[in-house]
Amino acid sequence: MTARLITAFAACTALLLAVLAGVAIGETPIAPDVVLQVLANKLWGAGHALDPIDEGIVWNYRLTRALVAAACGAGLAICGVVLQSLLRNPLADPYLLGISAGASTGAVVVAVLGLGAGAISLSAGAFAGAICAFALVILLARASGPSGVSAQIILAGIAGSQLFNAITAFLITKSASSEQARGIMFWLLGNLSGVRWPSVWLAVPVAVLGLVVCLWHRRALDAFTFGADSAASLGIPVRRVQLLLISCAALVTAVMVSIVGSIGFVGLVIPHAVRLLAGTGHGRLLPVSALGGALFLIAADVLSRTLIKGQVIPVGVVTALVGAPVFALILIGRRHAR
Amino acid sequence: MLLHRVVTLMVTLALPALAHATPTQYPLALQNCATPLTFEHAPKSAVTIGQAGTEMLYALGLGDRLVGTSLWFNDVPVQYKAQNDKVERLADNDPSFEAVIGKRPELVVVQLEWMVGPQGVVGTREQFHELKIPTYLMPSDCEGKDNLVGADGTRMQPFSIDTVYKSISQLAEIFDVQARGEQLNNQLKASLEKSIASLKGKDLSATSALFWFSSADMDIDPYVAGRKGIPDFMLNTLGVRNVVESDEEWPTVGWETLAKANPTFLVIARMDRRRFPADDVEKKLEFLRTDPVTRNMDAVKNNRIIVLDAHGMQASLRLFDGIETLATAISRHDLPK
Repeated sequence: MTARLITAFAACTALLLAVLAGVAIGETPIAPDVVLQVLANKLWGAGHALDPIDEGIVWNYRLTRALVAAACGAGLAICGVVLQSLLRNPLADPYLLGISAGASTGAVVVAVLGLGAGAISLSAGAFAGAICAFALVILLARASGPSGVSAQIILAGIAGSQLFNAITAFLITKSASSEQARGIMFWLLGNLSGVRWPSVWLAVPVAVLGLVVCLWHRRALDAFTFGADSAASLGIPVRRVQLLLISCAALVTAVMVSIVGSIGFVGLVIPHAVRLLAGTGHGRLLPVSALGGALFLIAADVLSRTLIKGQVIPVGVVTALVGAPVFALILIGRRHAR
Repeated sequence: MLLHRVVTLMVTLALPALAHATPTQYPLALQNCATPLTFEHAPKSAVTIGQAGTEMLYALGLGDRLVGTSLWFNDVPVQYKAQNDKVERLADNDPSFEAVIGKRPELVVVQLEWMVGPQGVVGTREQFHELKIPTYLMPSDCEGKDNLVGADGTRMQPFSIDTVYKSISQLAEIFDVQARGEQLNNQLKASLEKSIASLKGKDLSATSALFWFSSADMDIDPYVAGRKGIPDFMLNTLGVRNVVESDEEWPTVGWETLAKANPTFLVIARMDRRRFPADDVEKKLEFLRTDPVTRNMDAVKNNRIIVLDAHGMQASLRLFDGIETLATAISRHDLPK
């Protein structure tokens, strides 16, 4: 029990330090003592006299950004864990269910076709698109035969993704200028610059709720690792649990995509890395993956703002650029440790 | 507005001016964006791709030669409306290659190289030239600019207003209306001088500005004017410093960086386009006044926000109106030392 407490304490400390680093490092230099004074002012009204611009940047831009990065990283990582386990496919990731393709289509419909005449944001369009795509994929998977067969869900996901990607390409070719396409791509590649407190109040509860729902079903997930048949023989309502968990993963992913765009790599690789380091039991795998995803995305976001001076690289590019070699090292290191 | 004055002036001056203009000697050979062009006679028909070229031809009094227009950004100015109604609009955006050649034009006037150029969405210049249809590309989009690098192209040299004068005089030469061309250029130069003169005596050494075009989503990093582009030229001409230091034409820069740069003036673009919420000037103002960071910027606190038409930021005749608006707005404010 004490070991567990220590682990939990260490995890919280690591998360706190990462958020602090995310707040202290940014596009422009702000002295660390100013950063701490801002936090003191806001958290317990310390009343330091500060430049309102510095104060606004730290509290409204950087802190929100770090918190949303943490929530998105955690959310995407647990979705990856759940889908990989349920579908028994190491290549499963949160975008498998057509969600990122649907989000692109939704954003393009809003931006290019002018749906809502500027009143609907790209985020709302992306969320609606993601949910439509997911619904289509699930209907297709069910129509194609008895549920519980992971291959059908994967194939339906691929078909759905291709369809929505084709619609996006069609819309862009038909009516978008290069400047429009660039705006949408920029947004879709993953961007944390637009997050403010409302995004925090959406992303953090969704990530926490997702984690709780998945942890609640940790034993079922453990059973699914050996296949749907074994899970059924253990008395698990396969169909119900599968639909619930997949829908949960789809919702969490859709919310995250609509806030920050489709940031790749986190949902695919973090679960594998964590499995190599912490084992396959979902009671541990889920929280550790959430922590790993959160730390990883905060770090990637800090890098995206500082790698090239005066320019922000899409965070999705950083996650792949930094994440892939790190993952390779973990794979190799694991083999040698054996 | 300026364009209106130009037209009025031309109506009164064109006839006597035409009397002592040098007529064009055909065959006329000229270099246009590294491509040699030869004209045996003045083109009897033309198609335009891009509103800047369309309006230039109207201003040169060549509306009756136009057989097709395309790539519209805004409504046509009111003084050209009657003329424009007689010309077929091939497409609101980019026309297809066949729609253009279907009009059998003797000249295609192109505003942007990504429309007709090495990677042109309509076609390459060679494709047109093989069919003996010459293409005239606006020098403002090729001289000192590499359109194969970066999404909106990359300027190696800062934008020069001479490229606008050059396109007017070359088009005038091609169509043998040189007197009108000269008249128009003189008028534009006088307008520019007047704008610069209106700020004479003002100490602008500590004055800076930021051009905010739009943003893909309301709170996201905005598209702002970088160095070397047209908005930067407008600021330089008036002696105001651009706070953005990127060499891209329209880079995205974070609000953190922009707020810390704290420009004296914020110039925000007004446009008819409604693709992103931030296209709306009211939404931009609302953001600036409510965002916890930007509302503390000096320009916002002192209401030094200038609204400028987006088409005044293009290499076109409307650019001169844009500079005039900018100069008038700046001259109205007391400036920090």
